[in-house]
Amino acid sequence: MYKIILPTRYLLKRRVTYLAVAAVALCVFTVVVVMTVMNGLVGEFKGKNHDFVGDCIVGTDSLVGFAYYPDFLSKLREQDFVLAAAPVAKGFGLLTQPGTGQNIGVEIMGIEPASFCRATQFAQTLYYHKDNPGAAFTPTYDPALAGCVVGIDMVAGTRDSLGRYHHDPESPRIELMITCFPLTAKGALAKAGTDLVNTKTFHYSDDSHTGLVKVDSRMIYVPFDSAQKLFGMAGPNPRASAIHVKFAEGVPLKTGVEKIAKMWDSFVATHKNETYAYLLKNATVQTWLDYRRSSIAPMEKEQTMLILLFAMLGIITVFIIFVVFYMIISHKSKDIGILKSVGVSRGAVVQLFLTFAALVGIVGAGIGAAAGCAFLIKINDMEDWLFEHFGWQLWDRTVYAIGDIPNNIEPDVLAIIIASAILAALLGALLPTARAARQQPVEVLQVSQL
Amino acid sequence: MKQLSLFLCFKYFCRKKIVLLSIAAVALSCALLITVASLFTGFIEAIENSADDHLGDIVIGAPLGLKISKYDRLINDLEKNYLIEAATAVLSGQGLLHMGKGTGDVRAVRIWGIEAAGRAKATPFADLLVRQKNKNTPPTFAVEDSAEQLGGFVGIGVVAKPDDVTDEYDFEQVTASIGREVFLTTGTKELKRRTIKFTIADVVFSGVYEFDKDFIYLPIDELAEKLYPSQGKIADMIQIRLSRKVEPQAALPVVRGIWQNFADNELGWTNYAISLAKVSTSRQMQARLLAEYRKQMAMLMLIFGVVSAGVVLLIFCIFYLIVMTKQKDIAIVKSCGLSSGAVAVLFVVFGLIIGLIGSAFGVVMGYLFTKNVNYIEHLISVLFDLKLWKSSTYMFTRIPNQVNWESVLWVGLAAVLAAALGAVIPAIAAAGVRPVKILRYE
Repeated sequence: MYKIILPTRYLLKRRVTYLAVAAVALCVFTVVVVMTVMNGLVGEFKGKNHDFVGDCIVGTDSLVGFAYYPDFLSKLREQDFVLAAAPVAKGFGLLTQPGTGQNIGVEIMGIEPASFCRATQFAQTLYYHKDNPGAAFTPTYDPALAGCVVGIDMVAGTRDSLGRYHHDPESPRIELMITCFPLTAKGALAKAGTDLVNTKTFHYSDDSHTGLVKVDSRMIYVPFDSAQKLFGMAGPNPRASAIHVKFAEGVPLKTGVEKIAKMWDSFVATHKNETYAYLLKNATVQTWLDYRRSSIAPMEKEQTMLILLFAMLGIITVFIIFVVFYMIISHKSKDIGILKSVGVSRGAVVQLFLTFAALVGIVGAGIGAAAGCAFLIKINDMEDWLFEHFGWQLWDRTVYAIGDIPNNIEPDVLAIIIASAILAALLGALLPTARAARQQPVEVLQVSQL
Repeated sequence: MKQLSLFLCFKYFCRKKIVLLSIAAVALSCALLITVASLFTGFIEAIENSADDHLGDIVIGAPLGLKISKYDRLINDLEKNYLIEAATAVLSGQGLLHMGKGTGDVRAVRIWGIEAAGRAKATPFADLLVRQKNKNTPPTFAVEDSAEQLGGFVGIGVVAKPDDVTDEYDFEQVTASIGREVFLTTGTKELKRRTIKFTIADVVFSGVYEFDKDFIYLPIDELAEKLYPSQGKIADMIQIRLSRKVEPQAALPVVRGIWQNFADNELGWTNYAISLAKVSTSRQMQARLLAEYRKQMAMLMLIFGVVSAGVVLLIFCIFYLIVMTKQKDIAIVKSCGLSSGAVAVLFVVFGLIIGLIGSAFGVVMGYLFTKNVNYIEHLISVLFDLKLWKSSTYMFTRIPNQVNWESVLWVGLAAVLAAALGAVIPAIAAAGVRPVKILRYE
């Protein structure tokens, strides 16, 4: 019974214990808030990349692309584990809006809207054709015109203070001229003489808001066959830059990618004697995560750095608990002496003080976690209030492509933080507890010590 | 008497190893805050400096769709003023670059038509050229061994990609690209496409990824002739370098006056068109972004400030522990005649001393870490194969490693005050110790 009563009494009656609880609470509060926001940002960014790419990508960085993709596409579409597969032609182009005299270097992505929307979440990024993504390249003002979808940051102007874009009810009539260098399968310029480029005029049909700044600020989507013609990829042996794949529900990413990698290897082997077999060697099979690694890795590294810095905060908490326990045990030597003199073992003393430490950890972590959760739930309201009254925002939404501050509390992260806090409390109490266990009743209870 | 009491107190305290813990905690927090503040301010300063280097101190920008003709006269007017050291013209655009026969490499590029020698006077451009930087003559677009060919410069990121692991460029590959013939396609206002064949005469390596990755430079007169035939000397931007010690803000009205005078007399624009031209400092052009970086820095400092608040708690606990375990010593000192106030002051002073020693160590640690941050980052990349800093992510090839002494001052001061603050309540407790109660025999 004393193993419960004594720790509870120490917790409630010793004011210095409040300090240890406050230290644990402060630490847990800070870590919960910062980690939730950071995890939210990283998770959101990863999600947007996943939505943009699909589950798996078979492709090459070379602007020449690879041939025989229709055969491989057919094979993929026959597989049970593949839900959708879409060919894509990628390259660079020069965009001109007649009348403005402005030329902008852009990335061009040639897609088949229907299949691409099945393989990725492209449909969700559209504004005017969200419900009918198959017609994404059909301008609403004149369906006969060749349409293109433009990255939202290229047309919709700046975001408002809440990060929203303005759209007219009807899509605006904008003419856009795209010029590309057509390339042969060997990477040479396909055209000779004075006119080395291919130019085609498109009309704005929609815009795409993926939430990825580099994509939204310089990507133009055009019909797949038009892109092939612009890049010189059309012809008797058409070429593509990539095939985006979405797996059927329940197919683990790793398993799916491994299966496609095997299929690709066998496909390359069967085509090894073909004229353009050398182009197949440049193509790789990657998960969406590997494909977008260069964009995602810096954020993950920053997240790791933050965790390391918070480990320092944990160490300070351990020291605070150490000092507090040292103090309490110094003062409670008489209690320890009496307990031991009535037959309580060393192990039981250790158990008593570790229970006390665990209590400090649980109460501190509980308070910190509750305060952190409450703060996170209200974080966006607080930011709105600050913006309304003082014009202050954590992130200027007209500069950053961030919506609300992420405040989705992840139970597993919360559990890890609370468990770490309790562990830190136990760790801090370890040395003072060992000292308490070693105390001899005959020494601490002698008259001169009382 | 006082000296004896002081001696006894310091002797007791110095024997407490736990005091070292508080010094270490202050030092660590101090070092952390100094490092974060220095790296962040260094980063912000690097952005400001790179804008100054790339754009000059003050920029005159033509309104959209208009070009500044007879810019040589404007430059002449500007350079006559003693506030201005040099001015140079830029004709900008965007285009598509094919990297040469058989490469299959096409990329979108930003084009600047410049006067190489004039630009070298207004910016440190000459020092950025891989081939010509050590020459004593002004840089030129001339192609070595072939005077007839049109020469151009390209950013280092156009001809090479930084290594994934080391983030360094392969300079053999870079040097080999000099002399290569490339094709640039761009357009005119009349929607005519122009393809310009030129030879890479030099490579520009500024160390700022944004300017290295997709910039190409061509002679302004040749570019103007190709895109705007028979229009003479035209530009859409004038970049101005001020004389030494002249503040851009102070020179801004002067430049505006010269511009207004030139535009009224030479350009034939409407007053409205003239008013649309932007005359601003290069720092003003970056102001919004820099304000956001400063805000992020403030948030980070706030978070680490909260972390450091734990140090105040730690010092409080340690001092309280000392007071509790050394009550008899305090009682002896007081019984020798030291007043309660003096005991309290002694503890606060001791807190200050701990703060001073801790912050001194912290400053040294922060200084060493910041100054050697590039070596540390390199070491981590070698040992763990983990590249923390990449120019493609953080703009600069090297981590800015200038110690921000202003931050050092206020962080150090805050650390000393925080340590003293942590000692206040234990000091009051120590002052309250009654010798008669503590030192009685029973």
